[in-house]
This record gives sequence, structure tokens and C-alpha cells, in this order.
Amino acid sequence: MLGANKLFLAVATGLVLAAAPGAAHAAEQGVTADSIAIGAFGPITGPAAYIGLAGRDGAAMAIKEINAAGGINGRKLNMTFEDDGHSPARALAAVKKLVDDDKVFVLFNVAGSNGTIGTIDYVKEKGIVMYVSFASAPGVTWPFAKNLFRGGTTEVPRYGELYAEYIVDGMKAKRIGILSGREEYPKNEGDALTRHLQSWYGIAPVKRAEFNIGDKDFTPQILGLQEANPQVIAFFGNPAEAAIALRQARELGLNKPFFVGTTMVDQGFLNAAGPVAEGVSGFALIPLLPDSSDPAMKAWHAKWSADYPNLPPNRPNIFDVLAYSDMYVLAEAMRHAGNDLTTASLINALENLHDYRVGPIATPRTFTKINHIGNLRLQPMQVKHGEWVQVPWESKRPSDILQRYH
Amino acid sequence: MTWRIASQLALSGLSVGSIYAIVALSLAIPFKASRVLNFAQGELVTLGAYIALVLTSYGLPYAVMVPATLLIAAASGLLIERLVVRPIIGAPEFTLVIATFALGLIIRALIRIHWQDNVFFLPAPYAGPALAVGPLRVNPSYLVIIASTGILTALLVLFFQRTKLGKAMRAVSFDPTAARMMGIRVNTVFGSAWALSAAIGALAGLLLAPVIGINPELGHLIIKALIAAVIGGFGSLGGAIFGGLLLGVLETYTGALFGAALKEIIPFAILIAILLVRPQGLWGATPARV
Repeated sequence: MLGANKLFLAVATGLVLAAAPGAAHAAEQGVTADSIAIGAFGPITGPAAYIGLAGRDGAAMAIKEINAAGGINGRKLNMTFEDDGHSPARALAAVKKLVDDDKVFVLFNVAGSNGTIGTIDYVKEKGIVMYVSFASAPGVTWPFAKNLFRGGTTEVPRYGELYAEYIVDGMKAKRIGILSGREEYPKNEGDALTRHLQSWYGIAPVKRAEFNIGDKDFTPQILGLQEANPQVIAFFGNPAEAAIALRQARELGLNKPFFVGTTMVDQGFLNAAGPVAEGVSGFALIPLLPDSSDPAMKAWHAKWSADYPNLPPNRPNIFDVLAYSDMYVLAEAMRHAGNDLTTASLINALENLHDYRVGPIATPRTFTKINHIGNLRLQPMQVKHGEWVQVPWESKRPSDILQRYH
Repeated sequence: MTWRIASQLALSGLSVGSIYAIVALSLAIPFKASRVLNFAQGELVTLGAYIALVLTSYGLPYAVMVPATLLIAAASGLLIERLVVRPIIGAPEFTLVIATFALGLIIRALIRIHWQDNVFFLPAPYAGPALAVGPLRVNPSYLVIIASTGILTALLVLFFQRTKLGKAMRAVSFDPTAARMMGIRVNTVFGSAWALSAAIGALAGLLLAPVIGINPELGHLIIKALIAAVIGGFGSLGGAIFGGLLLGVLETYTGALFGAALKEIIPFAILIAILLVRPQGLWGATPARV
């Protein structure tokens, strides 16, 4: 039996330990007294590098501003970036390195769907928060996972809903041809459009043609589409492929309107496609494209140009803006989580964000305890006189996707 | 499949094949002269396209830009031979392959530093709306590629058969030691071969630029060009052309009949099938039986 003195010492020690802040649990990985480690990844090599490079640079610019303004609750943000080469296997390797070796607190994902799908199971298992800015892969937000959040892009079935409604009700087309890439994102969008054409309108595409990423000739696909005589052709792929396909379509006499996926609603596509882009429609992920003359975008563009004076044409693109905006969303949530920053407190803070955006250049983000899709708005656009301009159209149909979150 | 579609596919296949053919041609030259398989040749095509892009951005007229591009590319080829290839020419073949592969990666990475992965299309005076040939449509840029490949092949045949340097290249390719003993300056021949190969690669790049655009991944064409060269018979100029055209047509018809997935498999399957029957390629010389 313990002597009285030893008993007193034991009790006193226990009380002191219990009273010490943070003593009840180990320090959160990636969070120190003065820093927060953010692990980011995306493709900065290969055909999808245009999204990863912009994602990295947009996020870095936001971090620089946040740190200059004092950081988050006195802590500076430090970002470590890994290239995933747009491959699921490399993305998984990148995430493992960030989590296990670099010991980051949170993952900021500026990868495409192709890379992202390789990471989802691992991130769910680890329980670390992953904030996905670009990827529309359904697996990010369905089935629901407490630690996965989707920012700039919406879930791919929502794309399918909006595309179907716009093409059928807005463009008044019933005969629709689809030309889509075989990799994750364009395939998902093509599949989502096909599903919703069928479920909402009882329409099957008159032709679905596929191509491989990096393809330079689309003659077989275009001839097949031409034979099917569509009223509208929906194209899902990368801007470079879209430019070549559109040019070849016009060369071969296929002059029907094109509807393109969101990655084409950007200046880069217009620069590559030239005059043949006139009349092309699509949805934008952000309210103001980087070349907009809106004062808010011009001011942001000037800041961006000051940070990156030597970058080539087609930059900044929409992914610069998305990543910049989404880094501010993540930072705002970390701010609300307070000094005791943990994965649980970050999740709670994100789920209590309502209509937050860094400014007019972004769409607002709202998360709830059961819905981690932050953005449900897409803006229809059309190329007129060589520029993407907003189309005055709004969706009228209630979303099937949103029902599952109620 | 209607006759119109079949004919259009054939035309498209020949157009795509001509791209593979001209790159295969540029691959065959250094092999013919120095027995080195240059895995950086794809990047030399890319480099040529970017050189043309830069010179165009300075406002050079097309008629001046083209020879300037070829000269700069030739100088690059000479530099590569002198600094990278010549010091290791006696090394095992695998070493040479790895060295050229690494060189290609370096060139691609350097290009990315400034231009990243943006796509650019080079304006060309012959580019324009598709020409109608009966019910068929043909991009005039592809006609220029096909014509250029034909003219280039004819010039190269004359070069290797009638000129002193061309004959010297053939001699060095056959036996460098004997060639040296006959008074041929082997190092000069090597340098000339690499300069010529780089210039042809640059020509391919600036012909492709108005059609498929310029980006750092342009050099991936080297894989298809290599297949074309092997199918035709490595080292044979005519074989490179035939292999490229055959590959382009087969790929296009496969895509039309069986879809995009099989389009990537068929070229390799054909390569294996041909090599099993004729290891020297369709136009390559039959190896002597011992």
C-alpha cells in the first residue's frame, strides 16, 4: 500500500497533467506552435500539367498572402508539393510521402480525377482531412466520408444533370453525340451526361465515341459522329485535344454546335482552337474567367502577374483561381478551428462554413455535417467574338444528387 | 462502312502515317551513320518546333524562319554529338541508349521550365480550310507533310548514293575502322549525321506544329516512329516511310472498327507479328546465314 506522501504525489501529478492544455492527447501531426504543414499534390508533368501547375501556383499565392497577414491564429502555413503525373499510382505514392514522411496536417488536392481515385481509400483509412479542389470523381464525396471535402468542382453526377438540362432544354437538342476521353474525368462526365439524358429525358446519345489521352487524330470518331447526325456534340477531354478535334470536325464538314467540359471553358482552349471555337458552349467553375474585365478579377490578375511575371500565355487559368480560392476556404476553416487545431476541429469548422468565399472571383462554399460538396453552382458560357461570355440561363430542375443529402 | 468513309479513313491514315514516317526518317539517319539509336530524337522534333515558335514570335517571315530553324537545329545536333555521343561512342549499346534517353528527358524538362505544358499552334502560309477532293476532305497541311516526306526521301537517297559525304556515312556505318583506314574522317561523318538528323527532326516539328500543336509531349511520337522504322526495316529509308504509312493506316482503321482502346494495342501487336516472321523488318536486308 502506498505511503501517504507517495499517494499525495501521485494524485497531485495526475491533477497537473489533467489540467495542462493538450495534455489529454498527443500533439496533432503537422501542427506546431508556429506552423501548419499542408501537403499538396497534382500533375505538374504530363498532359494534365496545366491543372497541377496552376493549382500549385494558385495555392502558393494564397499561402503567401495569408502568411503575410499573420498566418492562421499565429501559425504560418507551409506547403509541400508532390507531382502525381496524373497517375493513380503516383498520386498514392505522393500522398503516402506527404502523410507518412513529411507528416503533414492536411492534404490539399489539386490533382485531376485520374490521380485522385488512387488516393481515396488510403486517405479514408488514415483519417486525415483531404480537401479536393478540382477533381470531380464521385468517390470523393460519395459514399460519404467524414474527412473528405470537395471545393471548387461539384460532383460529376451534378455535371451530368446540368449538362443534360442545358443541352436539351437550353440548346433544344434531342440528338446528342458524345466524344470523350478514356481517362477518369472525361469518361465520368460522358457517363454522367449519358445517364441523365436517359433518366430525365428518355434520350440515348446517338453516338458515343472515345479517344485516348494525347491522341492527335480524331478522324474515325468524327466520321462516326457525322454518320449519326447529332444536333449537338458534347466533348469531354483536355483543351489541346478539344482544339484538334474541333478543327478536324470542321475540316471534315461536321459543323454542328459543340458543348465542352469545364476544363475547356478557359482562355487556353480559345488560344489553341482559334476561330473554330466560335459558338462553343460550356459551363464555368468560377463566376469570372481570368481574362474578365471585371475589376475584381483584374485586381486579382495584377497580383498574380506580380508573383509570376515570367509565365507563358494561357496562365493564369481557371485552376489558378480555383486553387487560390480553395486555399482561402481551408485557411478560413483552420482559423475557425481555433488554437487547438486538430483533424476533428478542422472537420467541425469546415462543416460550419456557410457561403464563404474570398471575394467575387470565387463561388461561395457551404459544407454541412452530411454534405461535403462545397460548390453546386456552374455558370453557362458561350464563345462569342473570340471570348467566353456568360449565357443567361438557370437550371430549373431540382437535383437528384442533393436529395441524398437531406 | 461506306466507300466515302473508308476512303476518308485511308486518307487520314496516310496523313497520320506521314507524320510517323518523317520522324522515323530522322531516327534512321544517325543509326545509319553511327549505329546509335537516338532516344532523344523525339525531343529534337520538339526542340525544332519550339525553335520555330520562338523565331516566329520575333516576326521572322516563314521563308526565313524555316531555314533558320533547320540551321539552329543542325547546330544543336552537332553539339549533342560532340558533347554527349562522341565521348561514349565505344561504350556498350545500352549505355548509348540510356545516354540519349536521359538527354531527351533533359531537353523536355528545359522546355517545360518556360513554356510549361501549354499548347501552341504555329501559323503556316499553306494552312487553310480543308480541300475538297470529290466527297473527301483533306487538310492542306497534311498534303505538305506528305509531299515534304516524299521529297526528303528522294533527296536523302541521292545524298547517300551520289555524294561523297553520303557514301562516307554508309562506309562508316558498315565498318568505322576500315573507313578510318581508307582516309575517311569518321568524327566529321558522325557530326554531320547528327546535324542532319536534328535538322530533319526540326523539319518534322515545324511541319507538325500547324496541325497537332506544339507542347513538350510532342516527342512521344518517337515511340510510333520507332515502331514504323522497325516494321520497315531499321536503317532503310524506304522502309521507314513504308512502315510509317502502314502504321498510320492500320491505326486509323483499327480506331474506326474497334475503338480507341484497341488502337493503342494494334501497332505493338503488328510489330511483334512482323518481327516474328521477318526480324529484319519488311524492307530490311536479310541477314546472311552462317
